[in-house]
Amino acid sequence: MIDAAIANPLRDPKDTFRRYTIFGVCAVFVLAVAKDIIIDETDWERMGTLAEMVKTALFFLPEWSFFPQTVLPLLETLLIALWGTILAVGVSVPIAYLAARNITPMPWITYPLGRGLIVLSRSTHEIIFALIYVSALGLGPLPGILALATRSLGFLAKTTAEAIENADPGPIEAIEATGANRLMVFCFGVIPQIFPIFVGNVIFQMDINIRRASILGLVGGGGIGLMFAEVMQNLYYGRAGMIVVGITAMVVVGEFISNRVRERLI
Amino acid sequence: MKENVSLAFDRHRSEEMRSGLWKFVGLLLFIAFAFWSIDVLKIPIERVLGMFGRLGTMISERLLPPEMAFAAQPRVVDSIVETIEMSILGAVIGTIITMPLAWFAAWNVTPSRAILFPLSRAIIVVTRGMPTLMWAMVLVAIFGFGPFAGMLALVKASIGFAGKLMAEQIEAIDMKRVEAIRATGANELDVLFYAVIPQVWANWVGIIIYNWDAQLRNSTILGFVGAGGMGLYLREQISIIEYQTAMAIIVVIIVMVVLSETASHFLRHRLY
Repeated sequence: MIDAAIANPLRDPKDTFRRYTIFGVCAVFVLAVAKDIIIDETDWERMGTLAEMVKTALFFLPEWSFFPQTVLPLLETLLIALWGTILAVGVSVPIAYLAARNITPMPWITYPLGRGLIVLSRSTHEIIFALIYVSALGLGPLPGILALATRSLGFLAKTTAEAIENADPGPIEAIEATGANRLMVFCFGVIPQIFPIFVGNVIFQMDINIRRASILGLVGGGGIGLMFAEVMQNLYYGRAGMIVVGITAMVVVGEFISNRVRERLI
Repeated sequence: MKENVSLAFDRHRSEEMRSGLWKFVGLLLFIAFAFWSIDVLKIPIERVLGMFGRLGTMISERLLPPEMAFAAQPRVVDSIVETIEMSILGAVIGTIITMPLAWFAAWNVTPSRAILFPLSRAIIVVTRGMPTLMWAMVLVAIFGFGPFAGMLALVKASIGFAGKLMAEQIEAIDMKRVEAIRATGANELDVLFYAVIPQVWANWVGIIIYNWDAQLRNSTILGFVGAGGMGLYLREQISIIEYQTAMAIIVVIIVMVVLSETASHFLRHRLY
């Protein structure tokens, strides 16, 4: 690799020096962090020998006979993901309307508002939303659905707003020329243009939401996570292994289907 | 002529009615599905109706304002530093493991299509599918509490997240350069270093930074299951119903994530 760098006459040697300096600084920094985490803050004494760790790990081998009991929670998880996505779709369209620079009604007020909501939704982990909803609404799938909806509307609104900003202004002007109001321009000039992109993003989000829904139960948001928390607490590690296998299978199948459908759409 | 027009109109009408009928059937099916899922999920309807009021009082009376003094305590600040360190280490080790995996998992240049390709694809798919928080719980059971288990969980998350993106980048390269290097009699490793990496490196650096950003987001809640970092205090404060101090942690998390997102955006545009 070094040969390639020297042999390239277009590359400035100063640039190469800068690259290696940046690389060196990063390496020293990462080594310092590694020392802190692996040597200073890990209790190697208590962890025991490698053989003990392997023994504990072997407890997690899936207990296949537990599978029938995981089917209903898995279905619940799927439904939570689906309803979270449906709610997010409903809420994200108006937010995208506010957060798209070219059509937002009052650029000084509504644009920052829409962007702020998007940042809030995208930067907070779904577990945190679930905690807030669970503390307000009690346990069960309802706070889980709301948490998923809040978490995924940011992505949907952001991509939709970007699609609106990149939309062809021709049809929009044509509709405006007929004397249509803002809402009609949005419905007939903008929505038909962005619809395929939007559907693709919704399917993508659905596939991610299955993964997110599976852990909501750990904080009381319903679904398979609740069962996982129970079996972990009661030290049924084999059952926990089975649940992880079940979720992984569901997510992988979901992702496969989502990829196929999106390929078809585009 | 007149016949034709009315015929065409009739056809248009019947098509319109048919599509209207389909929409109606679709709506009915959707409503039936909604009722069925409410039944399966056992959602209490009366609670849905009073939901917004309860959320409003919850947020205005119990969550706000956040008690930021809690987050300034030394033990909390230490845990925040630990979170960031964990995310950096997990992302670095994860991407180092991911690089060869991405090479094996790219169909066009993989050194062995029969063994390494399906194996590495399977590793990437399974690590992507497995929820990181559950994996962290399993690791905590094996390695004990602390940032070491959290770091390993983030390594797993990095392989799933970056592996797919990096392999996709390799699959999109220009094969002419690969052929040119192969024509000189180069072996697979030479092809990797002189034809593949120069083409994907710029995008890979972007993916590495993006991956760190994603892992920072993951690391903030790993403490929830005892895998190190600030999530521990979030859980502690919630379980003793101190929502205002918990909100302080949440505010710190949001600020951290927004800052890291800005930093990663800046770095990605600055470096390449």
